[in-house]
Amino acid sequence: MPGAGPGVPKTRSNATPTSPISFWDAFVLIQQLVNGLTLGAVYTLIALSFSLVMGVLGVLNLAIAELFMLGGYFGFAILLARLPLPVALVAGMAGAALVAAIVERIGYQPFRGAPVVTPMLSTLGFSIILQNVATNVWGSDPLQLSDEVLSGRFNIGPASISAIQLVVLSVTVLLVASLAFLVQQTSIGRALRAVAENRDVARLLGVPAGRITLIAFMLSGSLAGAAGVLIGVHYAAITPYIGVEVGLKAIAVMVIGGTTRIWGSLIAGPLIGIVEVMTVAYVGSQIRDFVVYGLMILILLLRPQGLLGSGRGDQSQRV
Amino acid sequence: MLRVRDLVVGYGAIQAVRGIDLDIEQGEIVALIGSNGAGKTTVARAIAGLLSYSGEILFEDVRLKPNAAERNLRLGIALVPEGRGILGTMTVQENLLMGLYTRNDKAQAKLDLAVIHQRFPILAQRGHLLASLMSGGEQQLLAIGRALLSKPKLLLLDEPSLGLSPRMTDTVFAMIEDLRRDGLTVLLVEQKARQTLQIADRAYLLETGCVITTGPAKGLIDDPVVSETFLGSRTAAVHR
Ligand SMILES: Nc1ncnc2c1ncn2[C@@H]1O[C@H](COP(=O)(O)OP(=O)(O)OP(=O)(O)O)[C@@H](O)[C@H]1O
Ligand SMILES: [Mg+2]
Repeated sequence: MPGAGPGVPKTRSNATPTSPISFWDAFVLIQQLVNGLTLGAVYTLIALSFSLVMGVLGVLNLAIAELFMLGGYFGFAILLARLPLPVALVAGMAGAALVAAIVERIGYQPFRGAPVVTPMLSTLGFSIILQNVATNVWGSDPLQLSDEVLSGRFNIGPASISAIQLVVLSVTVLLVASLAFLVQQTSIGRALRAVAENRDVARLLGVPAGRITLIAFMLSGSLAGAAGVLIGVHYAAITPYIGVEVGLKAIAVMVIGGTTRIWGSLIAGPLIGIVEVMTVAYVGSQIRDFVVYGLMILILLLRPQGLLGSGRGDQSQRV
Repeated sequence: MLRVRDLVVGYGAIQAVRGIDLDIEQGEIVALIGSNGAGKTTVARAIAGLLSYSGEILFEDVRLKPNAAERNLRLGIALVPEGRGILGTMTVQENLLMGLYTRNDKAQAKLDLAVIHQRFPILAQRGHLLASLMSGGEQQLLAIGRALLSKPKLLLLDEPSLGLSPRMTDTVFAMIEDLRRDGLTVLLVEQKARQTLQIADRAYLLETGCVITTGPAKGLIDDPVVSETFLGSRTAAVHR
């Protein structure tokens, strides 16, 4: 969907700067906030996906952008087979997790101990290969959903939210809550945090660090896959290039939230979603990426630890 | 219980341990002493399974594999590493729960946790505190308590007195004697030679990766080789 801002209507407010804020302006603003939150929810999921691997291993898994894209295609395959949305969601998550496992075994595991740029380059290689595979399997034209998965809108005050947007938002909240529970309250989550903080100490406590690393990749992949299905049904279309268009933006979200603080994405995701949608609505879609990535560079310059990072890098919980 | 034969460990081109033999019998406290850089930590980490090595290590007649810390822990070898190895981003209680990671007997594990809480009341009182905020002495107790929760047969302690006050050091050493009385076997890596030799049964003196003296601990207290090693390293020790 090149050109068309994902989820962003091309209409612009007709209000002149001098006119008082009309009912219509307020309506558009609230509508844009809802759209921004929806886009932000997807960013949040992908950013969490990035920072899960970043937190445990200190490695940027660039293939995540394409896991997101693949998750969308897996979900579409299920939907086109006329199976229900929850099945598509599970398939997108499981499929992306499986591909993430392959990326870990071939693109990360053999390079453990090498400088961090090495696994980053190998995941970049994976990223390009996965995009190529998708182009060959599904073609480079957008794959469309023939009929709407869910229809209907709900009014909230002057604005309305579509059933799909509601699904995107509630699935995101559910996934984030599950992830938080897993990481904070379970034995696997503690093992994950232990490996993230000190791999040797974790091993001394009997944690199979290699397996935990694989689990981190797969969890991360399943989040990206879920995001892919969600954005796919939201636009009722998907292309092999959505990973580059949307997935990579989540890196900016992660940086803005703070790379050492995984939960920073919970703030940065909605923030960037809203900023992006507002930029398109009130300024123009041509500077959308400029604003988002510009914000990332600004944060890197002024507050490298991110909005939530504490600065005492090592003291803060990474996962 | 533990047999180390011709252990050689290197870091790249540097050979830190150059072929040492070491034995530990069931129920002993064995001291591994030596000045800075002698290779004590390297030996302890190799036994725990954190490093690759050549040579042979047998634990209860099972041949250990290099770099297999998880397996070694399940066999019954626990290491409290130099600097304590506290997980500072987790709470005290979460650190203790990590000690239970390999335990499958959940009911018994819960009882053992209660025993540790009883033994170190501070760990129960500060359960929800971030472990990095505990004092050095409290962290050492936490590290030992956490290691005990995996039910080890052999406990390796790497400089448990590091950074502790003399009084806290006494407490820790008394605790090591208690643990042995309860049936635990201990390899105690230390710089504080005199105090260590007083509670140990036997000792190995390490210098530049080789064992230069070994024998019953009490006999080594006044050994000229030992005194020389530690007098010679006194200036180095000040910098720690
Ligand atoms: N990761 C490493 N890489 C390279 N060399 C190392 C590494 N760790 C230790 N060494 C070297 O190996 C030698 C033995 O170190 P080791 O830490 O085992 O000594 P130690 O007896 O424990 O000393 P200390 O009393 O200061 O703790 C030293 O010369 C040290 O510089
Ligand atoms: Mg040492």
